[in-house]
Amino acid sequence: MSAAPGKPRTGSVLHFADELDRQSPATEAPTPGAELHLVTFALDREEFGLPIGQVREVIRVGEITRVPQARPHVRGVTNLRGRVLAVVEIRTRLGLTVATTTPRSRIIVVGVHDRTLGILVDAVSQVVKVPAATVVPPPEEVLSPGTDYISGVARWNSRLIVLLDLEKVLSLQD
Amino acid sequence: MAADENAFSELIQDYIVECLPLAEQVGDAFVELERRWQEGDPGDNTLAALAGPLHTVKGNSAMMGIAPAQTVAHALEDICALLTAEPRLRGDEGAALLVSGSGMLIDLVRRAAGGAQPEAAAEFAEQARAFITSAQTGAAASESAGESTERRAGDRRITSRREEAASGPGSVVRVDFRRLDALLEVLGEGMIEQSAVIELYRRLARKVGPSDEVADLDRALLALQKTIKRMEGILMETRLLPASSVFNRFPRLVRELAHAAKKPVRLVTSGGATPLDKAILDRLGEPLIHLLTNAVVHGIESPEERARAGKPAEATLDLRATSESGRVVIRLSDDGRGLDDASILAKAEALGLEVRASDPEQLRALIFLPGFSTVKEVSSLAGRGVGLDVVATSIRELGGTIEVSSRPGQGVSFTLSLPLTLAILRSLIVEVDRERYAVPLSHVTATVRTEPDTMHQINQKGVALWRGDLIHVADAGELLGTGAPPNGSRRFYVVIGTGARRRGILVDRLIGHQDIVVKSLDTTVGRPDVVSGTTILGDGRVACILDVVRILDQRVPA
Repeated sequence: MSAAPGKPRTGSVLHFADELDRQSPATEAPTPGAELHLVTFALDREEFGLPIGQVREVIRVGEITRVPQARPHVRGVTNLRGRVLAVVEIRTRLGLTVATTTPRSRIIVVGVHDRTLGILVDAVSQVVKVPAATVVPPPEEVLSPGTDYISGVARWNSRLIVLLDLEKVLSLQD
Repeated sequence: MAADENAFSELIQDYIVECLPLAEQVGDAFVELERRWQEGDPGDNTLAALAGPLHTVKGNSAMMGIAPAQTVAHALEDICALLTAEPRLRGDEGAALLVSGSGMLIDLVRRAAGGAQPEAAAEFAEQARAFITSAQTGAAASESAGESTERRAGDRRITSRREEAASGPGSVVRVDFRRLDALLEVLGEGMIEQSAVIELYRRLARKVGPSDEVADLDRALLALQKTIKRMEGILMETRLLPASSVFNRFPRLVRELAHAAKKPVRLVTSGGATPLDKAILDRLGEPLIHLLTNAVVHGIESPEERARAGKPAEATLDLRATSESGRVVIRLSDDGRGLDDASILAKAEALGLEVRASDPEQLRALIFLPGFSTVKEVSSLAGRGVGLDVVATSIRELGGTIEVSSRPGQGVSFTLSLPLTLAILRSLIVEVDRERYAVPLSHVTATVRTEPDTMHQINQKGVALWRGDLIHVADAGELLGTGAPPNGSRRFYVVIGTGARRRGILVDRLIGHQDIVVKSLDTTVGRPDVVSGTTILGDGRVACILDVVRILDQRVPA
């Protein structure tokens, strides 16, 4: 709406909203020595990360309206302060099974180009800063056809964060 | 630096906004004059009245440094001055120059931001000079006999100037249309918030029971509702433009088409003052141009054929707009040969369609099907590989309908019925398996309670006897894929229809009528056949809007 692309909005219901505001938006292309600001979320036992520059806000899950004949991986549409937001079912997109929403479920509102979309996740973990140098490509053996949305893996403390290429995740052509 | 550029491009925009209508006005007048001169009518004061607009275009072009437009406007002024003084020179040659020059001028003004070709303008100026010189040498011999004819015609054309004066220049403000769009969007949000408040009020009233405060709140809400309704009305009016803003482009188009097809054609327009939402007008030009082109190229016979049929050599195209109960009806009729029912039938049979030759209405509706063209030769004018199906689709996308009627040997008439506005849709809200949907009221014919003895099955498909007709009644749950097991217990069906087609849709509940604000569906979601958009209901939930036109088009399995 009024938020410039790449700039997180204030007023988010999440506890890390304040943190978002204090931090300047991360540049999207990591340069050596730079740090990546990531919004991380967990699905089953894997942890994923999105560049904070692409995240506009995180909202609680309200009523999601199913759309007849929608593409696969589309959960439906929801009301975001008077705007109609499409909500993508990231679990099935990433090859996981559908889960019911819980009080911890969240919609991550992302901006890709000039479009705004919602991504339904089980829970949002936190915002982390990882050195870009720790990002490595995933071992080829774990990749399968159609998983080109994994842009790399960041190591942070003892955790592994799978970095997602939003544009590829959201190209729902199948 | 960038700011300067912006300021300049804004100036260019202002120039186009101001000069384009003037150039078009001049161009249309020349087309009209050409016709009159051919009929031997000198066209009274029209020429003199065009000096003002031409001068303005010339002056503004000079100011903006758009030399080609300045040159052409100047040459046109010269020709006008000559022809005003010398009525006997008013003829084909002068008219052709005026028409082609003004066409060039319109083009130059429209492309003011770039892409003008100075050569063509210079060439035209040269032609104008040659015309004036040869006229003057000829005129020297026979003294000007024009003065009297010029006066004679009187003040018949004053009316159009009076219209301009009616809303004085001081009371008109030019507003960027995007601002009106933004205003409408904000109003839409207000309407949604309003229905949310009303919903809350109802729940509250149920909970606390009757009291003075609840009654006061009820009155206050009613007043608010009325105010917002009025605001909507005024804003909608502000967004309306006269149909003439599209029609104005057509005299020139028809003239050029007729010229190329070597058929004399006269375009008569009426109802140009009929108001329509700009968003609709913007998307109406293309389909109308298509229909006009078809009419000139295919519908109207050659002059010889017309002579044999005992018709006047000059064909008439009649384009009229009228307001009819909240919708705008646009009708385009020609006096040509009419649709070739035999060819349509042959084509239908070739395509394997089942039609009854005895039902001409059903037969003629086929011309709106994709790939259905009975035209034998492909012409450079109309044979662009685009059929009437494209016209029909774009009209339907505007929430309109298109119908055709034809009388062999006497002509074809297309009737377009359009909503006044696109942004706010009067809808029926229905519930199906606990999901809510909006059905545009423009396509709702009736809502009917299902009585056991009126519902039947043919070939396992639901059929109802409705007003003496058997219509297919589909289950909305199946149509919309709600996933709930089909149950025979739906209590209502909604009869939807466009033109002669009718279909029923079984639903659980009728929630009520509501003005909804249309929100487009993000393409990420896909392009469902059964849904045209979304809206936000009073309780904040998003509801899908049923695409009635496409639902009717489909052979829905149900």
